Amino acid sequence: MAGILDFAPAIVLLPFVSFLVALSVGDRLPKGGAYAGIAATAGSLILSVATVLTVAGGQTYDATIYTWAEGLDAVDLTFGVLIDPLSAMMLLIVTLIAFLVHVFSLGYMNDEGETGLPRYYAGLGLFTASMLGFVVADNLLMAFMFFELVGLCSYLLIGFHFREPGPPSAAKKAFLVTRFGDYFFLVGVVAVFATFGTAAFAGEGSFPALAEAALNGEASVTTFGLDPQTWFTIVGLLVLGGVIGKSAQFPLHTWLPDAMEGPTPVSALIHAATMVAAGVYLVARMYGFYALSPTALAIIAFIGGFTALFAATMGVVKREIKQVLAYSTISQYGYMMLGLGGGGYVAATFHLMTHAFFKALLFLGAGSVIIAMHHNENMWDMGGLKDKMPVTYYTFLAGSLALAGIFPFAGFWSKDEVLYETLIHGLGGSPLLLGAYAMGLLAVFFTGFYTFRMVFLTFHGNPRSQTARDPHGVRWNVKGPLVVLGVLATVAGVVNMVPIEKLFGIGGIDFLHQWLDGSFEGLTAHHYADLIPYSSSYIGSEATTVAVGAALSLGLALAGSGLAYLLYNVPEPVRHTDRLGRIKGLLYNNYYQDEYQVWLANGVTRPVARAANKFDGGVVDGVVNGVSGVSLFAGGRVRRIQTGVVSNYAALLTLGLTALLLAFGILGGWFV
Amino acid sequence: MIIEALIAVTFLAALVVFVAPDEYAGRLAAALSALPILGSLWMWAQYDASGNALLGGSIAFETDVVWLTLGGLDLHWFVGVDGISLPLVVLTTILTTLAIVSAWTPIAERQSQFYGLMLFMEANLIGVFTALDFFAWFVFWEAVLVPMYFLIGVWGGPNRRYAAIKFFVYTNIASLVMFIGFIALVFGLGDSVSSLRLPEIAQALRAGELGGFAGLDAATLKTVAFVATFLGFAVKVPVAPLHTWLPDAHVEAPTPVSVMLAGVLLKMGTYALLRFNFTMMPDVATALVVPIAGIAVISVIYGAMLALAQEDLKRIVAYSSVSSMGYVILGLVAYTTYGVGGATFQMIAHGLISGLMFMAVGVIYNTTHTRMVGDMSGIADRMPLTAGIFVAGAFGYMGLPLMAGFAGEFFIFKGSFESTVHSGMPVFTAAAMFGIVIVAGYLLFAMQRTLFGPFSFDGEYEVTNAPFHDVAPLAVLLLLTIVLGVAPDLFFGMIQDAVNPILSGGGL
Repeated sequence: MAGILDFAPAIVLLPFVSFLVALSVGDRLPKGGAYAGIAATAGSLILSVATVLTVAGGQTYDATIYTWAEGLDAVDLTFGVLIDPLSAMMLLIVTLIAFLVHVFSLGYMNDEGETGLPRYYAGLGLFTASMLGFVVADNLLMAFMFFELVGLCSYLLIGFHFREPGPPSAAKKAFLVTRFGDYFFLVGVVAVFATFGTAAFAGEGSFPALAEAALNGEASVTTFGLDPQTWFTIVGLLVLGGVIGKSAQFPLHTWLPDAMEGPTPVSALIHAATMVAAGVYLVARMYGFYALSPTALAIIAFIGGFTALFAATMGVVKREIKQVLAYSTISQYGYMMLGLGGGGYVAATFHLMTHAFFKALLFLGAGSVIIAMHHNENMWDMGGLKDKMPVTYYTFLAGSLALAGIFPFAGFWSKDEVLYETLIHGLGGSPLLLGAYAMGLLAVFFTGFYTFRMVFLTFHGNPRSQTARDPHGVRWNVKGPLVVLGVLATVAGVVNMVPIEKLFGIGGIDFLHQWLDGSFEGLTAHHYADLIPYSSSYIGSEATTVAVGAALSLGLALAGSGLAYLLYNVPEPVRHTDRLGRIKGLLYNNYYQDEYQVWLANGVTRPVARAANKFDGGVVDGVVNGVSGVSLFAGGRVRRIQTGVVSNYAALLTLGLTALLLAFGILGGWFV
Repeated sequence: MIIEALIAVTFLAALVVFVAPDEYAGRLAAALSALPILGSLWMWAQYDASGNALLGGSIAFETDVVWLTLGGLDLHWFVGVDGISLPLVVLTTILTTLAIVSAWTPIAERQSQFYGLMLFMEANLIGVFTALDFFAWFVFWEAVLVPMYFLIGVWGGPNRRYAAIKFFVYTNIASLVMFIGFIALVFGLGDSVSSLRLPEIAQALRAGELGGFAGLDAATLKTVAFVATFLGFAVKVPVAPLHTWLPDAHVEAPTPVSVMLAGVLLKMGTYALLRFNFTMMPDVATALVVPIAGIAVISVIYGAMLALAQEDLKRIVAYSSVSSMGYVILGLVAYTTYGVGGATFQMIAHGLISGLMFMAVGVIYNTTHTRMVGDMSGIADRMPLTAGIFVAGAFGYMGLPLMAGFAGEFFIFKGSFESTVHSGMPVFTAAAMFGIVIVAGYLLFAMQRTLFGPFSFDGEYEVTNAPFHDVAPLAVLLLLTIVLGVAPDLFFGMIQDAVNPILSGGGL
């Protein structure tokens, strides 16, 4: 029976077709190929909705659809489609946001008279297709391949305005920094193949299942002379390299703020649904493998907690609206990592979803503001936009409340659950996790502060420039996507209201949790909960812990927002950064992270390369030329036969061959 | 007879073009070079052999006749292909035609001679990849050098003499070392072989029939011969530190010659390494795995670091060839299906992609008459199509999935990581893999500075779109790269089939 899930490959292929269309005939199509992209992503969205409904009916799907390389007495390398609750949910998120971004682009790119639109829409199509291919991948190699294609697309789109100096540089940096992480990922892929002989995610013979069996002594795998537990941790950390690069976690986060050079709709796509989400999604996808390694989990949690706090502190001093959002993205993905490392698989997945909605909303809202401001992104030139653009304001506000984690907006529920899971597992005997929790909790305060600083500076107070007094209007193609996402950012939390469930004892409203349990055996949230090496402990009872945790994070979020209200919700806000003293410079310069990475590239690698080049020319080639110098004497004589007449050479060549034949005869005859 | 026909037609085409008037020599050469493409594609479609040609597998399109008898050894005219050589023949024929088309713009003098020599070289290259008798193979092998010498020495850049002579002397000395090493083996085999047919020699060597020679016992002789032939072929590949002829040759050579040099001539070295060293003497190869894998890693990293230091686009691509060929060596020494198969696949993949990159640099050079990174910026503004293909090709070179380079590299990495020839292979593999970061570094920097940013160019030439016949070969190569990247099995199946017999027996 051909079910709807058999059409899953079409979800990936439709945007790919729109890429081909925009690339080949986009300049002859109306709107530079935008409609092809909109139609394709709409088609994918409809299919994704159907997929989600089918999965809700209890169906899952895992099939190999293409053998990329057929091994002869060796393993096959294949492409397959894996549809389970996790990938179905992600398909819906990606196609929805890709669709909205395409529509929004009509307003942001076409209406603003950008050139090179076919290239833009081709890039968007390929970007969407690559991400969807990554989402449905049923094995690690396929995931890696599409992961790399996602990287290519980010390069093409961040560098879209290639005639300016900034974007090509940012694009290069994005690709190079993530490539550095992907190096470890690729070593990890190869190691997974060498260890397990397969890279499949799901099923009896999948590598997480084999790893689990190997730890229980039920299967034997190649561990290169190491203890299986140690080796699996190493492999997990290698793959994590790619995650840290793409999801912009410390210390490979530096590419992301620069990537703001790309067009704003692209930023929305990168941050909410594609590239940055890919890293975290990968950890969730192979969570059954990470859950086996306490060390890997602890590292993930700690990196996540640290990144959440670290990025949030940098967000508080930025002048440009997109920069604030960039640091908030890094910080929010830190929360997801914290959740995954802290044993909260459902919580992290939940946050991945809500974040996709509110971050896409905030970027598109920022895009709307940027249109209004004639592409001035400096918040200190804005102010008072609230009354001029109410749709943008209220949707942006909804997104900001979600980002800050204010009850009852979507972000509150998911962030709270991430922190709660980390807290109970930390209390269960993991001080490291408690440390990560503390950082995540502290970051809530900064999040509240930078979010509302941004809102007040942009929309409240008096206009601080001529453009802010008379902003450019936006059309339906901008407002429509904002409204859709605004509603989602407000209400999406209902899918998993765990605190309500636990506080009031209402069973069965943790829909997302139940949803993620409906997967393949071995890929369920339930199975992961059994695997994680943590035990839970509570402050008093479970309900008390929930209440305390929620009160703490909500209190901090309100405190941060309140401080921003006091400082910036005034008619003529002023800079308060001088009060930070010396920390100000540190924050403005992003803790000098860029400097040291640029130094590693330009101050270390390049001189080494130049030294190698000198060595090569002077020593290696010098020896060659020295040897030839000795034979110059002989060369002097040879020169006489260099007449430059080709026929002479031909004659010599024939002579030489004859001589060779003769030599053979003599040698052979003499020998026998 | 198809192979004889292929070689003969190409020789004849060379002759015809050689005497044709300059005005239409280029068109004529391109048209005539389509014949070998048809022939090689027909062979590919008809291919039904299996196994390794040297190890008793069935040989496709085989001819084996006694040609001469010299001193008790029969010299055969013995040609045929298996899954290793056929892809290389296809690569050679396609790349030659594309290189000829790419020569239409830059080659303005003595055109009939230029195109004649290109075709003459092609004929000999087909010979190298199809000959299965050492004598015939060696004649073709040496005969390739002659047209290459003239192509660099006559049509090259300002320093062409030095580069051509360096190329010729370097590779000729290498041939001599290799020749001595191989002939010593033949003498050591004594009466157990009656001809110089490579299958006979390979099977005798793997069966352990080598005796002593010139005071060396069999084991020592084999090691000495292995080292000698390895060094001889390594110059051609080239591996560090025997690579210094390559950048000089590339910088001086005109674009189409660089395409042939990087695309096909370097593969002669890796092909010969596979056929001779790794097929005939696997026991020595695995005993020497640490130095060989070490050389591979050094070639990858050192070559990439050198590429990073260059300011000349062509030098960047030239040094990156050293890097890419290092992967091939790593794959060969792994002795796994994916390792050796991937190495063979990488020969094809690198042939296409390096050809593409050299041509792309050439198209920019045709317009700007400079290749220095600092001399221009924002070229994409004026030559969008060329720049687009350049970017695509560069990402292919960086190993972007679904392009041929990724397939080759991934197969090699997978094969060498899981190799059991030495416990350190995962470490060697991981070290070599770091090349994928450096290659991204130098290509991205070069593209950022030349293709992107505000347009600026100091030269007196007008920078405009390249003519169709300059861009068409680029597009064809890009398409082939993608096709092979999406469906590597077009070649990888037959490659594995020919590679697998190498991996067992013979002292392994």
